Amino acid sequence: MAELLASGGSMEMVQAAFDNGADAVYVGATGWSRRRVEFEMDDAAIVEAQRCARSAGKILRVAFNTLPASSEVPLFMARTDALYAAGVRDFILTDPGLMMALKNRHPDTILHASVGCTIINIQDAIFYKEAGASQVVAECRMGKATMRRIKAEAGVGLEVLVHATTCYTLLGRCTMSSYTKHGHKVDASGKDHFPGSPNRGGLCYRICLTDWDQVGATGEIEASGVELPNRAYFLADDIPYLIDHGVDTIKIQGREYSVPLVGRMVRFYRELIDACVRDRAGFRMDPWRERMAGIVADRDAERREKTTGLISESLG
Amino acid sequence: MCLGSPYCRRVEGNYAEALDLLPGVVSRLHAAGKRAYVATPAVPREADLPHVIRLVDAAASAGADALEIHNMGVLRILREKGGPVPAHMGAYANVYTHLAAGVMRDSGAVRVRPNAEVSLEEMAILAREPGVEVEVFVHGKIPLGVTDRCFLLTESEESDPKCPSACGEVHWLTSRQWVLKTVGKGVLSGRDMCLLEHLPRLVADGFRVFRVEGLYESAAYRSEIGAAYREALARAFAGGSFALEDRWVDAARRHAPRGLCNGYCFGTAGRTYVGTVLQDPNPEV
Repeated sequence: MAELLASGGSMEMVQAAFDNGADAVYVGATGWSRRRVEFEMDDAAIVEAQRCARSAGKILRVAFNTLPASSEVPLFMARTDALYAAGVRDFILTDPGLMMALKNRHPDTILHASVGCTIINIQDAIFYKEAGASQVVAECRMGKATMRRIKAEAGVGLEVLVHATTCYTLLGRCTMSSYTKHGHKVDASGKDHFPGSPNRGGLCYRICLTDWDQVGATGEIEASGVELPNRAYFLADDIPYLIDHGVDTIKIQGREYSVPLVGRMVRFYRELIDACVRDRAGFRMDPWRERMAGIVADRDAERREKTTGLISESLG
Repeated sequence: MCLGSPYCRRVEGNYAEALDLLPGVVSRLHAAGKRAYVATPAVPREADLPHVIRLVDAAASAGADALEIHNMGVLRILREKGGPVPAHMGAYANVYTHLAAGVMRDSGAVRVRPNAEVSLEEMAILAREPGVEVEVFVHGKIPLGVTDRCFLLTESEESDPKCPSACGEVHWLTSRQWVLKTVGKGVLSGRDMCLLEHLPRLVADGFRVFRVEGLYESAAYRSEIGAAYREALARAFAGGSFALEDRWVDAARRHAPRGLCNGYCFGTAGRTYVGTVLQDPNPEV
């Protein structure tokens, strides 16, 4: 049975996700995850979230999925040591070197290879398994044939994002944001939050979503107001397929959204998955579409507002 | 010299696709006293893996000196074949830490090109990792992103008449004060990275591998920028005073219609320029 994993951008969101049926929630360690600091947690909050998960019989995963500087590796080891001592065992990582280091230091940790690893084929999946991951997150456009192959042959768990964004370029392989604006913000622990770099610090200015003109060699406008496609998607039709093919985790991304919206998303997927499992032969998607449309509309409104703010911030 | 395009298999004259051309071009480069590296696809989907396997075999048979690798799955394929050719980790391999470099070394990498966001200060730490050398990107458009859907086409690759010629033309993307260059499946910086005036520092820091990115540039670009850096590096390695020759400055500026940058190397935005000689007095992008 697939695990339903939801985002935890705050303690309130963690609770809402569990209350609405998530089997697991992921949170980001301050300065170390692919979201800005407002949507991350310090160690005290992580430990509280862990207690919340345990009391519900569920799982908390902690994301350390940014790509730090080499000089910050000791900070990583110290921080994960502290969380390990507090009982955290599940981590989400991107850097294969950090994965191996953590796995070697604490062999009973459960490591997942983040969407930032840009896993697009079976050999990628096995590479990260060999680096210490027991589960890998599929790149957002991974085809079903590749998912089937990974499940059948790779010997590693597979996690699929059903609510996320397909970046203009491959997620995890883009530095457009930091090309325009890139700073440094070192916190009390010594960790640089690298504002402007989603790979290094989580804050992406989404400049792909501003208006672009395509211009030719001699300066002529070839096309005005072109879109660099970066779309938030909300998969529902594929849920039966994912369940049928044994996908291990169905993931809802969204730490940056409002708590009520994330709660609605979790409740929607919980009920959809349960209905599909309960009566697979009789399951039909049509009754779910109207409810899904309402969630998508509200999600799009929140995303537009955030994107406008981020682009303005990049110009400052 | 790095042969082939990692962005798209359909690029015209792509040595990484037309494998029968490899023996001849590798031989010619070797006869000229040069080393020949071959690029592998940066975004190899499952369906591309059989070609990747053939590419590895062809590069090895042709005597290529290394494969440029951007995808961890391709690195693994090379390793599983017994490492017939050394691996150079490329721009999209996301090498940020010395630990990652070490993992890649253990899979057959002998050289890494750190991600564009990695500063020179951080590269110096990476360079201390034993068994793997650091390639410093010193000039050219910065690879900012890669995808497997061509931005320049309106139909599928197989049916759009603009393929494969579109990415061989010059197309900019402009918005507000930003300029990028699209090459279809890749997004590059609008400005050209330039570390010309910082070469003495790079030499003093112990770097020995320097990359001039000429992909999607003209033959004149590669020739003139390459010549400038060859002379400048010789001057930097000779020690003593180092001053930029006018002809180097002229080449760098002439071949950078959108300006020069190097901010990433100094821990700031990629499009900024840090330096005293080649800074643009009126930066607009």
